[in-house]
Amino acid sequence: MLSLIKIEWLKIKKYPAFWWMLGIVALTYPSINLMFLKVYEDITKGKDTGAIAKMLLGNPYAFPETWHTVAFFSSFFIVLPAILVIMLVTNEYNYRTHRQNIIDGWSRKDFITSKLCDVLIVTSIITLSYAIVAIGYGSYTDSKNFYRWSEQLQYIPLFFLQTFAQLSIAFLLGYLIKKAFIALGVFLFYYLILENIAVSWFKYQVKNDIGKFFPIEASDRLIPVPAFIGNFGQDMKAGYQKALDAVPMHIGLTIAITAIIWIICYRVHSKRDL
Amino acid sequence: MQPVLSIQGISKRYGSIQALNNVSFDVPQGCVFGILGPNGSGKTTMLSIILDILQANSGNYSWFGKPGSPETRKQIGSLLETPNFYHYLSAVDNLNITKAISGRGDAADIDRVLEIVKLTARKKSKFKTYSLGMKQRLAIGAALLGNPEVLVFDEPTNGLDPVGIAEIRELIKQLARAGKTIIMASHLLDEVEKVCTHVAILKKGTLLTAGKVDEVLANEDIVEISAADTDKLKSVLERFSGHSHLKQDGKLFELYFPLGTARMEDLNRHCFEQGVILNQLLLKKKSLETKFFELTND
Repeated sequence: MLSLIKIEWLKIKKYPAFWWMLGIVALTYPSINLMFLKVYEDITKGKDTGAIAKMLLGNPYAFPETWHTVAFFSSFFIVLPAILVIMLVTNEYNYRTHRQNIIDGWSRKDFITSKLCDVLIVTSIITLSYAIVAIGYGSYTDSKNFYRWSEQLQYIPLFFLQTFAQLSIAFLLGYLIKKAFIALGVFLFYYLILENIAVSWFKYQVKNDIGKFFPIEASDRLIPVPAFIGNFGQDMKAGYQKALDAVPMHIGLTIAITAIIWIICYRVHSKRDL
Repeated sequence: MQPVLSIQGISKRYGSIQALNNVSFDVPQGCVFGILGPNGSGKTTMLSIILDILQANSGNYSWFGKPGSPETRKQIGSLLETPNFYHYLSAVDNLNITKAISGRGDAADIDRVLEIVKLTARKKSKFKTYSLGMKQRLAIGAALLGNPEVLVFDEPTNGLDPVGIAEIRELIKQLARAGKTIIMASHLLDEVEKVCTHVAILKKGTLLTAGKVDEVLANEDIVEISAADTDKLKSVLERFSGHSHLKQDGKLFELYFPLGTARMEDLNRHCFEQGVILNQLLLKKKSLETKFFELTND
C-alpha cells in the first residue's frame, strides 16, 4: 500500500491540475465561510436587534461550532476535488497508462488500490484544508472560546467520510465512463440537479423520505445544517435534533454505499479488457 | 530447455469477430521471435493477452514455466502498441514510475537507457513535447530498464525515421547477441527477416506456421537463371532433370528444386553443353515476402 501511495505521489506531484485544485480550494473554503461570517456580522451589528440576533444565532464560527459550520459550508464545493479525481482516473485512460502500469508489473487489483489511494490523498488534503479554515475562523472570531477547541471534533472524521464518499461517486463515474468531460458532466448533472429533484419529489410529492438512501443525500446528511438553524422556533429545533439523531444511521449507510462503489470497481477491473 | 513463453490454445473473441483462434506456440530461450501477420491478424491481441491487458476466452499461457502474474511481468520489458506515458512528466519522471512499478533499474540505469535510445539531451523535457519517434524511443528505453532477460516489442520501429529504424534493429541484434529473448510483433517482413531467428505467422487470428526462420522460409531451393537467348534457355532448362517447376518472369527464369537438391555446377554444365551461355546463375532462398504472401493469400 505504501509503495502504491509513493508511486501515485510521483504521478500527482507534478500534475498541474492538482496544484490548481489545491490553490482554488485554498481560496474557496475561506471565502465562502468569510461570506457567511460577513452576513452574520451584518445581522449582529445593530445595537438592539444585533443583540437579539447574537443571542439567537450564537457565533457559528466560534469554537466549537466552527467545526460544524465550516464543514457544512465547505462541503458545497465538493465539485472542485471531484474534477481532480475524475481527471486522475480518466488521464490513465487518455495516456493509456492504465495498461502500461499493468504491463510493468502491477496487478489489476493494485491499479484500483492505487486509485483508491488517490481518492484518499485528495480527501485528506481537502479535510486538512477544512480543518485549517475551521481553526482559523474559530481563533479569529472568538479567541475567548479557544479553550473549547476539542469539542465537536467529530466533524473532522464526518467531513472526511462525506468527502471520501462523494469523491468515490465521482471516481466511479470517471472509471466507468472513461471520458473526463462526459464523466464530469454526468457528475454535475446528478449532483446538482437530478438527485436534488428526486429527493425533493419523494419528500414533498410522495411524502416519503426514501431520498435519504440516495448516494449523495446519504452522505450530505452526515453534516446537518449549522446549529443556529435549530434556534428558530420549536419546529426547527425538532428538525435539527432529528437530523443529528440520524447521523449514526447515515454513517453506516454512507460506508455501505462507498464500499459497494469500490467493490464494483475492483470487480469490473478484475474482468474487463483494458 | 524450458521455453520462456508457452502459449496453449488461446482464443479471443470481440463480439462476432474471432481475433485469435486456438493459437499455440513456444518461444525458446535466447531467440528473437517474430510474430508476423497483416494488420488485424491478432498480433497485438496475442501480446496483450500474455501481458494481462486482455483476457482470453480460452486457453492459457505460461512465462518461465509459471502462469502469468505481476511477478512474471516485472521481469519482462514490454512495449505494447503505443508509447504510454504521462504527458505532463519528463522522460526521467516517467521512467521513475516504470522503475517503481517494475522494480527494475535504478537512477544510473535510467541514464543508461536514455543514452541508449539517444534521449539524454531531452531527458528533462515533458513527454508531450516529444516527436512520435522520440516517444517510441522512450518506450523502448523503458522496456530496457533494469536489463531484463526477456523483451516484448510490438511494432518497435513504428514512427521512427530510417536512421532510427536501423538503430533499433541494430539494438535488437545486440540484445539478441547478449542472450536476451526477444518477442517482436511486426507487419514489416524485412524487419522480421533481418532480425528474427524464429517466426510465427498469424492470419485472421489463426496460426499458419511457427518455427525457425530458416525452416519456415527455406523449404525450396530457387535458382535464378538468365541468358541472352531466352527461348533456347527455356527449352534447355525444361530438359534438366530434378526440378519441380519452372517460372518465367520476362528474361529471368526461376527453377525450383526440393530443398537442398539444386546442383548448380551440373546445371551450369548442362546449359553450356547445350550451347547456352548463362549471364546469371543464382541460388536463393525463398524470401519471407514470397512465403508470407503464399501463406496469407486466400
